[in-house]
Amino acid sequence: MASTARGSFLAVVRQNIPLCREHFRLVLELEHFPQTSPGQFVQLSCRDVSLASDVGEEFESTDKRRPQLQAEELTRPVAMLRRPFSLAGRRDRGSNTEIDIIHRVVGIGTDFLAHLKEDDEVGVLGPLGNKFTLPKENQEAILVGGGVGIPPMLYLAEKLSGKRAVAFAGALTRDLLPLTIVDPEARGLDDIRALSDIAEFAKHGVRSVITTDDGIYGFRGFVTQALERYLDEAKPNAVIYTCGPEPMMKRVADIALARGIECQIAVERAMACGMGTCQSCCIKVKKPDPNQPPLVGRDWCYRLACTDGPVFRASDLLW
Amino acid sequence: MANLSVDLAGIKLSNPTLTCSGTCGYAFEYADFMDLSKLGAFVTKSITREERPGNEPTRIVETRAGMLNAIGLANVGLDRFLKEKVPLLKKMPCPVIVNVAGHSFDDYTETCAAMDSLDCVAGVELNVSCPNVKDGLTFGTHPGRLKELTHEVKKVLPHKPLMVKLSPNVEDITATARAAVEGGAQVLTLVNTFTAMAIDIYKKRPRLANVTGGLSGPAIKPIALHLVSRVYRNVAKPAGVPIVGMGGVQTWQDAVEFILAGATAVAIGTALFVEPSTPNKICDGLHEYLAKMKVERLSELVGALQLPGDEPRQSPYP
Ligand SMILES: Cc1cc2nc3c(=O)[nH]c(=O)nc-3n(C[C@H](O)[C@H](O)[C@H](O)COP(=O)(O)OP(=O)(O)OC[C@H]3O[C@@H](n4cnc5c(N)ncnc54)[C@H](O)[C@@H]3O)c2cc1C
Ligand SMILES: Cc1cc2nc3c(=O)[nH]c(=O)nc-3n(C[C@H](O)[C@H](O)[C@H](O)COP(=O)(O)O)c2cc1C
Ligand code: FES
Repeated sequence: MASTARGSFLAVVRQNIPLCREHFRLVLELEHFPQTSPGQFVQLSCRDVSLASDVGEEFESTDKRRPQLQAEELTRPVAMLRRPFSLAGRRDRGSNTEIDIIHRVVGIGTDFLAHLKEDDEVGVLGPLGNKFTLPKENQEAILVGGGVGIPPMLYLAEKLSGKRAVAFAGALTRDLLPLTIVDPEARGLDDIRALSDIAEFAKHGVRSVITTDDGIYGFRGFVTQALERYLDEAKPNAVIYTCGPEPMMKRVADIALARGIECQIAVERAMACGMGTCQSCCIKVKKPDPNQPPLVGRDWCYRLACTDGPVFRASDLLW
Repeated sequence: MANLSVDLAGIKLSNPTLTCSGTCGYAFEYADFMDLSKLGAFVTKSITREERPGNEPTRIVETRAGMLNAIGLANVGLDRFLKEKVPLLKKMPCPVIVNVAGHSFDDYTETCAAMDSLDCVAGVELNVSCPNVKDGLTFGTHPGRLKELTHEVKKVLPHKPLMVKLSPNVEDITATARAAVEGGAQVLTLVNTFTAMAIDIYKKRPRLANVTGGLSGPAIKPIALHLVSRVYRNVAKPAGVPIVGMGGVQTWQDAVEFILAGATAVAIGTALFVEPSTPNKICDGLHEYLAKMKVERLSELVGALQLPGDEPRQSPYP
């Protein structure tokens, strides 16, 4: 039985494979990892955890490697802080859990992750943050993921089996889509038919629309343009879930609000702790009643993306 | 097992690890990730008289072996602190020190006066690294003003030990340390963060919305250590005032360095973000170190650093 508490875990790398240009899938195995939900994230240590053992000599020597200075940051740039990553999937076997992380290499931390090998250890803090609220019985789930916002959509899709759902996955160009496209038939430039051609979504019965900004594959244009077209044609009773670059999410929010459609947004913010202590990950939200705390007298306040979020309602966000 | 307990002006700590203000929330935020009952003491986020939203994001950026923060004292303010946080602090399994910040003398005295009668508060730490709204001068950088502030606060805080947290952004930290002690500080905490900046070279803009931020983490440890050593020798030791050393403490070795330099206890900040259980691990390491060095009480090592010209001390090695 998974417990509900959060914690600090040491995971073992089971798989680390390149998915497409700059993107990797990291499969981590943990013991007794608590229950998780789509939308939640973990903080990964992006540095050699065997060197972070604080009880020991200045030099650490194991049978696997030459003696190394503990203060790794003195010898090369290291990611000091942990880095936040959305859960992209989860499988349980007894007390063991495998979680999927899909990440894009953008700096020293993600570069470190990309070099991890099978059996390497990774520190995991989590699970952190709140979760997406699943659609009501009669609602269609519309998933909108852009770039590194696609991973949480994959985990959400796992929980949507048997429900009406469609996913929009967008990227700059085809080789930046960290997805398995099973039917490589290039579609019309403005074709927004939802097909079952992204394996990761199709296996949960979620149809998908692929968009690329350069039109090399799928709908040509932004994922938000395809979404708008879909909403106007299908007029679904829907709830929209989105994660991706901030300008994209803001546009998705506007599209949803203009049509009175509920929209849940997983925001990304620069984070130091991920546990609600440092106040770095704040995002501006509307307050229903200016006379209630926090910040009595104002119609807005800051919320923490790491503990109040990362999932917020579009109608609450002031960004 | 060796004895790690220390005394900070009457606050009895089971071990010398504290949390740094602003890096551990208000109370139980880390409860799932560390054993709070094994902390020497818990230090809250800075509390101001009025609630503050804090600065615009981006508020943090990582730099080499450190980070900059410009949180802007975002906090719930005195009223909500009393209503929402004090009930939690009453349940804390270790001594609680409340960090207080302000932008005027009245800000500080009103907030501190409210702390004096709270049973769950073991002591008050003054964050004096904020500018005064009246003239923009930082309280902590002017010895005269710092002495006056400490004196005014101590008057309204007769029942609790008063700790003053020194800013490192001064020409001579011994001058402000001395001023604080003369004003009535019973413990000196040092150091707060170093004013610094980082630049996005493509946008040609500062990486923090606030332009500058405070540097913390391992990058500042050697500087912090030097400042602790100077304050210990020139001010704290002669006056018999204990020091809480901080700035980049990550490992038990770091803690030992601070203690040898003159700190009675150490506080851990940025390292908590990386591993909240760091204080627990530091205590494990200290036990091993004391056993190896055949020292029974950690307090024997406070200020045991030998500098050239010091009276020869007995070697700690048998
Ligand atoms: C809740 C949450 C979930 C996330 N999920 C994923 C995910 O599933 N997959 C994924 O690839 N990435 C995800 N990210 C973004 C990821 O955390 C950053 O890409 C990572 O921190 C970069 O670390 P680095 O050391 O490689 O880059 P750095 O050297 O730290 O920075 C390189 C570049 O990335 C930008 N950056 C740094 N941190 C962030 C951040 N937190 N958010 C956005 N941009 C950032 C910097 O401004 C800089 O331009 C998530 C972020 C959050 C807050
Ligand atoms: C995110 C962050 C927030 C902080 N907030 C406060 C604060 O509210 N009040 C205060 O006195 N110091 C604050 N500090 C300074 C720390 O308490 C500490 O003095 C400093 O970070 C050095 O220690 P470290 O290197 O172990 O982090 C803050 C530091 C950080 C990193
Ligand atoms: S990341 Fe520290 S409070 Fe959210």
